[in-house]
Amino acid sequence: MNVLFVCIFAISSALVVLRDASAFLPALLEGAGNAVTLCLSLLAVYAVWMGFLQVAQDAGVLRGMSRAMLPLTRRLFHTQNTQALEQISVNLAANLCGMGGAATGAGISAMRLLDRERYSQEMFFVVNCAGLQFFPSTIISLRAQAGSLRPLSVLLPALLASLFSLALGILLVRLFCRR
Amino acid sequence: MNALLPFLVVILLLAASFRKVRVYDSFAKGAGGALPLVGKLFPYIAAVLVLAGLFEASGLSSALCKALEPLFSALGIPAPVLPLVLVKPFSGSGSLALVGQLCSQYGADSYIGRCACAVYATGETVFYLSALYFAGGGRARPVVIALVSNLAAALLACLLCRIL
Repeated sequence: MNVLFVCIFAISSALVVLRDASAFLPALLEGAGNAVTLCLSLLAVYAVWMGFLQVAQDAGVLRGMSRAMLPLTRRLFHTQNTQALEQISVNLAANLCGMGGAATGAGISAMRLLDRERYSQEMFFVVNCAGLQFFPSTIISLRAQAGSLRPLSVLLPALLASLFSLALGILLVRLFCRR
Repeated sequence: MNALLPFLVVILLLAASFRKVRVYDSFAKGAGGALPLVGKLFPYIAAVLVLAGLFEASGLSSALCKALEPLFSALGIPAPVLPLVLVKPFSGSGSLALVGQLCSQYGADSYIGRCACAVYATGETVFYLSALYFAGGGRARPVVIALVSNLAAALLACLLCRIL
């Protein structure tokens, strides 16, 4: 990201100077202004969703889901490491509910617990990267705030595409990574 | 479809109170986490959008879009969504920033706006996650697999946005 930033910044600046150097600062400030507006909407979105997610977590939704997922994860990740499987299940349940923060922590400790089980690690990484989520709350709320008349219209495309990407990822890991 | 959300939320709150969760306090605790989170995101969103503003002003953005239009429209991804597909593996907050911009520029219900939202909602920040998970011991194969399946998901998401 650092290299990308410098490259794009330098090339764009050169072109702006060639066209009209006085446009340089207004362009930067407009970008920062957009960032402020976006962050304000995000603040509202997160305040609503993180509130509900906390309620769900306190009600034990996350715990129940991860328990229900245990048999499935055992088969998918080919490991008998129960501690790691527990962390994996928490991670997957949190990801499905859109709790990125809770997911990452459990994901990292799962990776650590799977220290020598390379296949399981790689499968877990790829499954995580599919980003499957029941309800992409951030994006739906952002759409509603941007004045969308049908904020839920991206729900189905996103869900189907993530499912496809998950299936493709699992298939590729099975084909190309040794157990 | 629109009644689904209120229904689910009410079920959640009732179930939680049935389980003796102090719903009001719990909600407040969760909502309180929003401010620090946005505080953490803001620097990166600002950096990306400042860059995007400059990129736009340089004319590079429209030139690139025009140049890549045939290739990407053949694949079914509208050209303005291209930067999002490229930034996505590196930065979650950066891609969120781009989604916000595309939605306000083209409208959230336009084909481009919907594609951007669907692309954002599929896939993950592959490079960021690999740095976290494989902590230094970089592995090429799973990263390539994840990138391939994310790109496939982006293509499929745009296609589905057209027909659904």
